[in-house]
Parts: sequence; C-alpha cells; structure tokens
Amino acid sequence: MFFVELIAQSLVQGSIYALIALGLTLVYGLLRILHVAHASLFTLGAYMGVLTYNATGSMLLTLLAAMTVSGLSGVAMFRLAYQPILKQPPHVALIASIGLFIAAEECFRIIFGASGLSFTNPPLQGQVQLPGGLQFKQAELAVMGGTVLIIAILGWLQTRTRIGVACQATVSDPQMAESFGIRLTMVRDLNFLIGSALAGFAGVWVALLNNLVEPTMGSVPSYKALAIIVLGGLGSVPGTLMAALVLGLVESFGMVYLGKVLDRNAIAFTFLIVVLMVRPQGLFAKR
Amino acid sequence: MKISGTTSFALTAVGLALLSGAALADIKIGITVPLTGFAAADGKSALDGAKLAVAQANVKGGINGEKLDMVVYDDQASPKEAVPAATKLIEKDKVVGAVSGSYSGSTRAASPVFQAAQVPYVVSYAIHPDITRSGDFMFRVSAMGEVQGRGGAKLVANLGKKKVVLITLKNDFGQSLAAGFKEAAAKFGITIAGEHEYSIQDRQFGALVSAVKAQEPEVIYASGYFYTAGPLVNQLRAAGVTATIIGQEGYDSEKFMEIAGPASEGVLITTSLDRDSANPATKAFLADFKAANNAGADMVAASTYTATQVLIDGLRKTGGKGGAALRDAIAAGTYDSAIGKLTFNDLHEVNKDLQVQVVKDKSFHRHSVISDPVLLAAPTKSAK
Repeated sequence: MFFVELIAQSLVQGSIYALIALGLTLVYGLLRILHVAHASLFTLGAYMGVLTYNATGSMLLTLLAAMTVSGLSGVAMFRLAYQPILKQPPHVALIASIGLFIAAEECFRIIFGASGLSFTNPPLQGQVQLPGGLQFKQAELAVMGGTVLIIAILGWLQTRTRIGVACQATVSDPQMAESFGIRLTMVRDLNFLIGSALAGFAGVWVALLNNLVEPTMGSVPSYKALAIIVLGGLGSVPGTLMAALVLGLVESFGMVYLGKVLDRNAIAFTFLIVVLMVRPQGLFAKR
Repeated sequence: MKISGTTSFALTAVGLALLSGAALADIKIGITVPLTGFAAADGKSALDGAKLAVAQANVKGGINGEKLDMVVYDDQASPKEAVPAATKLIEKDKVVGAVSGSYSGSTRAASPVFQAAQVPYVVSYAIHPDITRSGDFMFRVSAMGEVQGRGGAKLVANLGKKKVVLITLKNDFGQSLAAGFKEAAAKFGITIAGEHEYSIQDRQFGALVSAVKAQEPEVIYASGYFYTAGPLVNQLRAAGVTATIIGQEGYDSEKFMEIAGPASEGVLITTSLDRDSANPATKAFLADFKAANNAGADMVAASTYTATQVLIDGLRKTGGKGGAALRDAIAAGTYDSAIGKLTFNDLHEVNKDLQVQVVKDKSFHRHSVISDPVLLAAPTKSAK
C-alpha cells in the first residue's frame, strides 16, 4: 500500500512539473529560448489565485484570474523582452530571462510582502478516503485530473484545429509557414499565452497543496523545468510530459530511499546527468 | 587678565560647543539581517524587534543623551553577503557593536570579522555552535540547536511516548536539533522508528509523508521553519497521520497557523517565547510589539529585540564606548528579558528554561516549561 501511495504522490508531483514544463517546451520549440522567467509566471499565478479566492471565494474565478493574468504577462514578456532581441544569439535571451526572473522575485516581495500569502479559507482541503487506507486531499486529486484534462485539450487543439497546425508549421519551418500566410507574431503570442496560462494554473494548485505562496516559490521550478525539457528531448511536448512524470517518480522514491544522502534536487539532477551520459538527446527524443 | 579671561571663556565655549556637538552625534550600532531572499520573512520580524528596542532606548534618552542609530545591512541569510555586510559595518559605519538578526550560515561567516575587529556581536537566534567559538566578542541569547534537541526528547518522555520518527531539515539548524534529540533519546528510552531529511526549498512532502505514515510513529519530531513546517504539517494531517507533532522555534510565527490551518491545532513547539508568560518583561514586549507593528510578535522578533537590548544595556554601562570595555560590560550583565532571565557563561552562551507552546485556537499557548539545568546546559569554554 505504501508503494501505491508513493506512486500516487509521484503523479501529483509529476502533474505539477508537467504543467510548468509544458510552457517552457512550447517556447523553446518555437523560439529556441530557454525561458527561465517562465517560473515567475507560475509564482504570479499562485499570487493571483490566493488573492482572487480570498476576495471572491470562487474557484472558477480563481483559475480564470490566475490563468489570464499569467497568460497576458507571458505575452507581455515576449513582446517587451524577447521580441526585440530575437536576432541576437540565444544566450542573450537567456541572460535577459534570468534578469527578468530575479527582478520579478523582488517585485513579488515588494508588492505582496516577504512572508508570503495563504488562503484564509482554503478550498478543496477535504479528504477523500479510497479503499486500502489511501487518503488524498481533494486538491491532490483535482490537480491530477486537471492536468490530464488540460493536456487532452492541448492535444486536440494542436492536431485538430487550424491554429494548432499553424503552430506546428511554425515550429518546423517559420519562413515556410510565413509564406503560407501564417502570422508569426500571432502564433508566438498564442504560444506564450497558453504556456504562461498553464504555469499560472500550476501555481494555483501548488498554492492549494501548500497553502503558501512566497516570492521565491519559482526558484526551484525555474531550473527544474529546464531539466525536464532537457530530459524530454528539448522542444518535444510528449517527451516533456513523460519526463515530468518520470522525474516525479524518481524524486518521490529518491526522497524516501536516498533522502539521507542526497536531497530532492540533487537526486533530480544526478538523474539528469546519468540520463544525458547514456542518452545525450534526452529520454524521449526521436532522433 | 581680563583678556585672557575672555579668551579662556571663549575657548571654553568653543570646547563646550564641540563637546555638545560630539554628544549630539549618534552612537552607531549595526544589524545584519536577511531582508531579501528566502529568509526575508524572518528578517523583517527580526528587524521590527531590533527597531523597537532602539526606539524604546531613544525615548528613554539614548546613551547619556546621545541617540542610538542603527545601521541595517541585508545579508540574505547567505555567508557571501554576510562578510561584506560585517566589513561595511566595521570599516565604513564604524559601529561600536552589532546584532545578528539572521540565520546560522550568515552569522557564522560574519562572526570572525567582528571578532577580528573587536566589535561585540550579539547573536539572536542563529544556533550553530561555531558562532560563539569564534571568540570572546561573540554573545548568544538563544539556546543552541543541540540543547533544544535534547529538550525535545525530554518533552517526548514527558508526554509518555516512545516511538518517534524524525523529519529533519537539511541545514545547520535541523541537523543540530536532530543530533541533540538523538543523543538524549537514548537516555529516555525513546526508539527512533525512522529518519527523513528534506531541503529548505521543499514545500511538497507527499513522498515523505507516505513514508512517515507507513512507519506509524507516536510522535513526529520535525525540524523546520514556519514556511516549511506549515505545508509539512498540513500535508501530514491531510494524509491521515495523527501522531503528535513536535516542532521548535523555527515554527514560532503566526504564519505557521495561517499556512497549516486547522492541521496546526495541537502541534507542540519548543521555543523561547512564552505567550502566556507572567513575566512583566515578556508581557510588556508582546504588548509593545503589537502596538508598534500591528502584528503579533514571534520568537525571531523577541530574540532580536532581546539581543539589541543586551547590546544597548552594555553601551549604557560604558557610556557609548565599544571594544573590550563593551564586551566586559555585556558579559557581566544580567538581563530580565522578554525571553527570560539571561546571564552569559564563559563561552557567552545563556542557560535558560525551554518554553513548550501548543497551538490552541489558532495561536500559541503555554503547554509546559522544561527546566533541567543539567540536560539543557549550554556548552562552556572547556566542555565541547
């Protein structure tokens, strides 16, 4: 039973990683930018979630507000920070991104205070009893369900709609796509909008699971998500999803069995290094 | 005669003006405190406590009429920021003494700098043993980690429980607590059914909680700060773990109850601030802090307030002079403080009782007091 519980916890963790890393992989696939500041949109979503829920008490509004604010901020980041330097080598964008991330962290601290925020009356905290002594928080089940739902919607958008196909075309050959009348800027905006909204969505769930939103909560996801997209074979959406789940598993089991020797992040990165030694192209890359 | 009389009068006047000018110049003390980074919440609390102590001293006339001026540097609770901060306080601001309102990592790095410059450094709540071992200009007003850990084991014994699982924060604070706890656990016949460690950045403990649940402890001795312990306690209870949870002074913040919510009820902590204290100094501090900051005080605020008071008290005795005179004045003092009666031993550590607080109706209340001069003895120069 302990193993079942541990695997379930890995899935919760993996779902959150997947939500954060998806946006990152979309951006990387499209623009080859390592978008470190993506994690600050995760933090922003979490703050928006707590503020909205405390003000309105509606979970629907909370998710909407968090996803909208994070999504639009992501687009603003692209327009203001990345678009002007797209012609520069990729490390220029990376440096800009790290700068943005640090600045955002301090802004959160100045605006919302150093000690973070909590839900005054957190929703979805009820416990769900499953057979065999398994017990979950409603929020834990919701995050797993929500992730599956969102990924299904994304998959449908990408393969079955014009805009999704346009996105894919832009990834594989931007110039060709443009010559077929696809508006590059729109595709890029849309990518940032969706990816950032997902990060905001993840932020709300993490806020619910921990009941704590802090200025620095993005610091671990900022580099962990990079590790995940590398594991998943840079820019591959299904690879990223699988890598997120695998990392959730490795960390959960690692924490229990290796926790005395290595901490969670060390375990994650040891795993990353070992994988890259064996498969430099990542776990799930085709080539 | 007349002329020289006038001259001497004029000279005296000039002299007096100079003296009074000097007298009006402020006495500078310093504080190193994390105002940004992961420990910024504790840093704010610490600074609020220190500011209150300085403001109160200035209202009472400062040091012989000279105002106290506190120079603040952000050390981000990081050793690499703490050394330049300490150097600036000494070289640029020429402070006569300083307070640490920060964590062990940074305080440990700053202490040799203050020691080398012979500037007394009064440490509030950083608990690493090396700090006072940097030299005789160091003072500490809180109990060291090992001491608190031993107190934690005694609390388990007092509760009549035997089977404990340790959840240890992987830093100076958590590891010294665990070491003290394990050392004393053997004496009290406590069995340790499991040990887990986590890093300070962890907020999601799903895997660890499952492992603890499988070990079925009676008591969980979990070290951490309110921002790690809040989510941890919340998640333990959500998974159906009902064991008694014992924390320490790192939990000691109103934010802990906010984060953990109803899961915080019944959690015990060992700390140095007794909310239900009858001690006038503690009561006055709690009321004054609330009035000044519109928020309840926590252990960090109380300890930094006390450390600042200790420094100011020393300055009163030396008339504002620093150096060896200030060191000796601080070492010789006895202090009736917000965190109890304090006297420094030869290593400049304090011996005091450990306050056990329990969360009841979303706030800390007195549970019991652990008073054991032998078990809770602070280390001295001779004994390690």
